[in-house]
Amino acid sequence: MKFDIIIIGGGLSGLTAGIALAQAGRDVAVISAGQSTLHFSSGSLDLLGCDNNGNIVNNPLNAIASLNASHPYKKVSNVESIAQEAKQLLTEAGITTTGDATANHWRITPIGALKPTWLSVDGMATMQDAGTMPWKRVALVNIINYLDFPTKLIAAGLRNRGIEVDIKAVTLRELNELRKSPSEMRSTNIAKVLERNNLLQGLADAINQVTVDGNYDMVLLPAVMGIDSCSAASTMLNLIAPEASYVATLPPSVPGVRMQTLLRKRFAALDGTFLTGDQVIEGNFQGNKLNSVKTAKLEGERLEADNFILATGSFMSRGLVADYNHVYEPALGVDVDSNSLDRTTWAQLNVTSAQPYMEMGVTTDTKLHCLLGGKPVSNLYAAGSILSGHNSIKLSDAAGVDMLTALQVTHNILNQQ
Amino acid sequence: MTTSTQTQNMSANNFEQCLKCSICTVYCPVSAVTPLYPGPKQAGPDGERYRLKNKDFFNEALKMCLNCKRCEVACPSGVNIGDIIQAARIKYSTHRPSLRDMMLANTDFVGTMASPFASIANPVLKLKPVKAVLHGVMAIDKHRTFPDYTNRKFESWFKKEAAAHQAHYEKQVSYFHGCYVNYNYPQLGKDFVKVMNAVGYGVNLLEKEKCCGVALIANGMPKQARRQGEVNMASMRKAIAQGHQVLTTSSTCTFTMRDEYAHLLGIDNHDVRDSITLATRFLFQLLESGEIKLAFKNDFHKRVAYHSACHMERMGWVPYSTRLLRMIPGIDFVMLESQCCGISGTYGFKKENYERSQAIGKGLFDQIKELTPDCVATDCETCKWQIEMSTGVTVENPISIIAQALDVEETRRLNNA
Repeated sequence: MKFDIIIIGGGLSGLTAGIALAQAGRDVAVISAGQSTLHFSSGSLDLLGCDNNGNIVNNPLNAIASLNASHPYKKVSNVESIAQEAKQLLTEAGITTTGDATANHWRITPIGALKPTWLSVDGMATMQDAGTMPWKRVALVNIINYLDFPTKLIAAGLRNRGIEVDIKAVTLRELNELRKSPSEMRSTNIAKVLERNNLLQGLADAINQVTVDGNYDMVLLPAVMGIDSCSAASTMLNLIAPEASYVATLPPSVPGVRMQTLLRKRFAALDGTFLTGDQVIEGNFQGNKLNSVKTAKLEGERLEADNFILATGSFMSRGLVADYNHVYEPALGVDVDSNSLDRTTWAQLNVTSAQPYMEMGVTTDTKLHCLLGGKPVSNLYAAGSILSGHNSIKLSDAAGVDMLTALQVTHNILNQQ
Repeated sequence: MTTSTQTQNMSANNFEQCLKCSICTVYCPVSAVTPLYPGPKQAGPDGERYRLKNKDFFNEALKMCLNCKRCEVACPSGVNIGDIIQAARIKYSTHRPSLRDMMLANTDFVGTMASPFASIANPVLKLKPVKAVLHGVMAIDKHRTFPDYTNRKFESWFKKEAAAHQAHYEKQVSYFHGCYVNYNYPQLGKDFVKVMNAVGYGVNLLEKEKCCGVALIANGMPKQARRQGEVNMASMRKAIAQGHQVLTTSSTCTFTMRDEYAHLLGIDNHDVRDSITLATRFLFQLLESGEIKLAFKNDFHKRVAYHSACHMERMGWVPYSTRLLRMIPGIDFVMLESQCCGISGTYGFKKENYERSQAIGKGLFDQIKELTPDCVATDCETCKWQIEMSTGVTVENPISIIAQALDVEETRRLNNA
């Protein structure tokens, strides 16, 4: 089977590249081995939250200059314009966001911490400045028996910053029904029950009832609305009397699932081919070129393309695999920058320390070509979390690296000719 | 610990690879519409841990699983969640199939009985009182209409009208037509013969063909399914010995015989599996390698929306059918968002499942009604019944669409047939 471009990996990075290349008129296939880490999304996208020394970054564009030379952003030619392009791509897919690359804002994590971020999906609770709180009195309203929203932790985090918080809980008969199978009382099932049975108004009424007398200037809800479309999420907020917004829940993430679905729909609408639940198991290299790949399910099939992009993610997505002796890239076996065979050097004993394995990944040249035996492969690029040279937990830069390197690779491919 | 401890300690169905990430639960069409089903994570790997210790942890609610395998397609860790659930049903369920279940599952027997009386059986099965009896006594839902039985089976047509001139062709294939083509819709089989002959292939029936057994597995009759499977494998071995590939026009029969035979029924099919292939895949591969050519009518025009049947998606073969359809110049192609239609073979025919079945498919029906295509294309016959009943839009197998669009004479000329 022949395509212009084959992208290995169907998460944020792979779909970003897929959409941009399909938009440029290329025949693109995305091969995805299962669903992506967007399912654990916070509902926000980070570009650069902290610098190398752990200091909070206010202006990511300025701070990128001081990152290590190994950081993937150093291979992005014009971060400012590519960051705008990323936001535009999301908007065109139906994912509207607030924020820009010159000034971070703050998001609330599911355990009540504040984190600097770049873009937040519309409807998510955000703050412009962590020093001055935008609200005085907040109602934190959960759905009874929904366990993936630890209200006490969130309330404690907000109270620490001087906000008065009341915890409330509501339910509806239909949501109570869900509890018949307690393990399935999950964010995405709640969202489906609410939206597909027209229960938004009913839930809003219940929320209004418990918040009407409290003089609240903000009602915070778990982000369990809007799995089929953005409109359900915004409709819900409009139905609540004071101002209301969402706080991210523990996985699965409804805003994340929605992003994944909308990106995939956009890719399909641009005539992209999405190979679901399949895995690249072998690459056929000739000289410094990758001719074709093989997958687990398309037995006997050679998937050929002019260019390939490896966007399979890090350890969590099995883009990288560690066994007792090696860290390696399992799909094509390209070079990974884990030189040390001594696995005791891969990790620090203190789990909250900067973990060396977080910086491992595939090595690339300045144009983001993968290397094989130390030599660049002329038509194979890497993008996203699989790239080496940065610690996405310490720097809070995962989504930014995913999207910006994907778009940079897109430019590199389109500018080849 | 040695490397082998880590790399070889693999249990059946990749059970131990489950990270408990819960992504599978997002894509289960059943738990989205009923809280009584424990969902793929709980029914699959989580429950399996308990069942391994004590069979009393088996829960008959697992029969609500559609075996759509969408959990497996979504799993980022390669766990065969659907297989774990089906294997648990086979191993632990004490539920005895009812007369209704046996009737629905024995497509061969019922088809053989009904076909000679088709002109009586078809209208009778549509009568309200008959439906009421089926609904009340047999628990076959009154909303369903049995697909019409043909008064001339495909096999009879083939032997009389087609068999004689098949030997003229230099190249030969065998055809596993399946119950649906034989008893209900011989037109698809005729379309298949027309297309294969036009590209220079003679068609042979298998020495003995039995129902693939998918309905027997689903209805708790694995022993009979195994017997039928062995008959099919024996016939196919003979066909393969003559150098034939065994072609099919049903994604579910194909998936069952290639994958479920070994995974669920313990049938050794390793020597046959690679030779069983869907006709669209066979044609696509020959077209791409240049071994055959297709010519299409100039005046053919159709707006086609493609539905990815669950087992087609699980096999990863969707692109074969979609790329083949897209080669037809007169086709205006739309890809439907991949969702289960809810019928799952005999599942949706059962009174107790009817409402759930329709709720599962609703998203798909809404998409189709909004698009109003000339027809929906899909590789699965039971999706056809469900979509036609629920949307009123005609559903066709890609092979039938190709047969309609084909310029037979020109194609024959191009292939020296």
